[in-house]
Amino acid sequence: MSSNRMSFAEGRRTIRAIATREIGANFDSGIAYVTTIAFALLSNSIFMNGFFLTGTVDMTGFFDLLPLLLAFFLPAISMRMWAEEHKQRTVELLLTFPVRPFQAVLGKYIAALVLYTLMLACSLPIPVMLAVLGNPDPGLILSGYLGSFLFGALFLAFGSLLSALTADQIVSFVTSTLVGFLFVLTGEERVVAIVDGLFPALKIGSFLFENFSALPPLGEFVRGVIELSSLAYFVLLSVLFLWTTGLVLEKNRG
Amino acid sequence: MIQVDQVTKRYGPTLAVDRVSFEVKEGEVVGFLGPNGAGKSTLLRMMCTWLPPTGGTIRIAGHDVRTQPLAVRRSIGYLPEHNPLYETMRVDRFLAFVAEMRGLSAERFAERRAWVVEQCHIEEILTKRVQQCSKGFRQRLGLAAAILHDPPVVLLDEPTHGLDPLQVAAFLEFIRGLAKNHAVLFSSHVLAEVVNVSDRLIAINNGRLLIDEAVSKLRTRAEESGRSIEDLILDEVRGSNA
Repeated sequence: MSSNRMSFAEGRRTIRAIATREIGANFDSGIAYVTTIAFALLSNSIFMNGFFLTGTVDMTGFFDLLPLLLAFFLPAISMRMWAEEHKQRTVELLLTFPVRPFQAVLGKYIAALVLYTLMLACSLPIPVMLAVLGNPDPGLILSGYLGSFLFGALFLAFGSLLSALTADQIVSFVTSTLVGFLFVLTGEERVVAIVDGLFPALKIGSFLFENFSALPPLGEFVRGVIELSSLAYFVLLSVLFLWTTGLVLEKNRG
Repeated sequence: MIQVDQVTKRYGPTLAVDRVSFEVKEGEVVGFLGPNGAGKSTLLRMMCTWLPPTGGTIRIAGHDVRTQPLAVRRSIGYLPEHNPLYETMRVDRFLAFVAEMRGLSAERFAERRAWVVEQCHIEEILTKRVQQCSKGFRQRLGLAAAILHDPPVVLLDEPTHGLDPLQVAAFLEFIRGLAKNHAVLFSSHVLAEVVNVSDRLIAINNGRLLIDEAVSKLRTRAEESGRSIEDLILDEVRGSNA
């Protein structure tokens, strides 16, 4: 009780308490319902449209359309993470409980991941339908879902950081969407060609494609290839953004 | 329980708190007085580890706020200024959340919840959302959350702000009752309520300590000078502004 240390069990209990509260707050505010239903309707209907045109029994079309949709939908989840706490001043209440900032960051992040998993789960009728209609490759579908989960986890991680930098949810949403589109568009071949054309000597477009964009590592998963480098890209970047969020909270106290 | 030693806080070029020192012992209720911007909230925020001091040391229940922040947070119950609460949460769930953050077991929580609900008179709002509660109930809920884990040190920043006179009276009586086995430091603008409930009074102005004296001694001084205790304190504050 008197020690400044925190046991693993205590830390886990604290993170779980914050995550549970956050999940409840997402549903109380209606954000969870709106984003999940809108995402499910939009992603499923766009996929069905393409599916009936091509008639291919796989989910590649679904996973290909996800990045642009997520660049818009995930900031709607991450925008309130810390901006709301700053605006309501509850951040002072939260961070004067016996909790380390990184545990608070992790608690909120887990809550956002739970909500995102629920969004992804709304697409499960697609593989079920494909299994009824034909013989899709389950490994490819699982790999695609894993890649999409990691892709979303990265977006929620930088969303957490951008939310910690402001007390305005709109600012948080807009900046997260912009950064999300940067991660996506730098992986589009046409964009790469245009940016390369602007500075032919520097090849900035190709540099961003190879070193920054989230599309190439996601593409590996969608093709069924689970490379350590792709896995490391998503995990390390997510950890970096979350760690920075903790530092920002520590620095912005008061 | 609370030891503040030569504490300074700077915000850039602005000196918000200037070498303030005082102590609060177990069993004491200490009123913390001062005009707006005097540095009361800044000091309380440093005591609860929300703000780091620029200089000096603060020890709460024997723990240094700088080097042992978790131990300090475990030892305090803190009601921040403006009483921030999670607006969309139900009151009973908010208390359960606080209990979990404070590491209370289910049995201990049931016991403490029954006590704070009775003492703070919040039975009728338990199933309401925080945003549906009146100002008075919100203040009582903030206090209930601050003392739910029975901390040895209770820090309250403007706890009577927005309460009606009857609520203030009940609130002060409750704070008086807390003193038996706690160290209570509460800030206020209102001289009369601080004088009525406190054992000792600390007044600061422009970040500097002006008065740190037992209320009984202040009363004697006031009587000897033929003034009210309120006038005595106001004169000292005015004198420090001159």
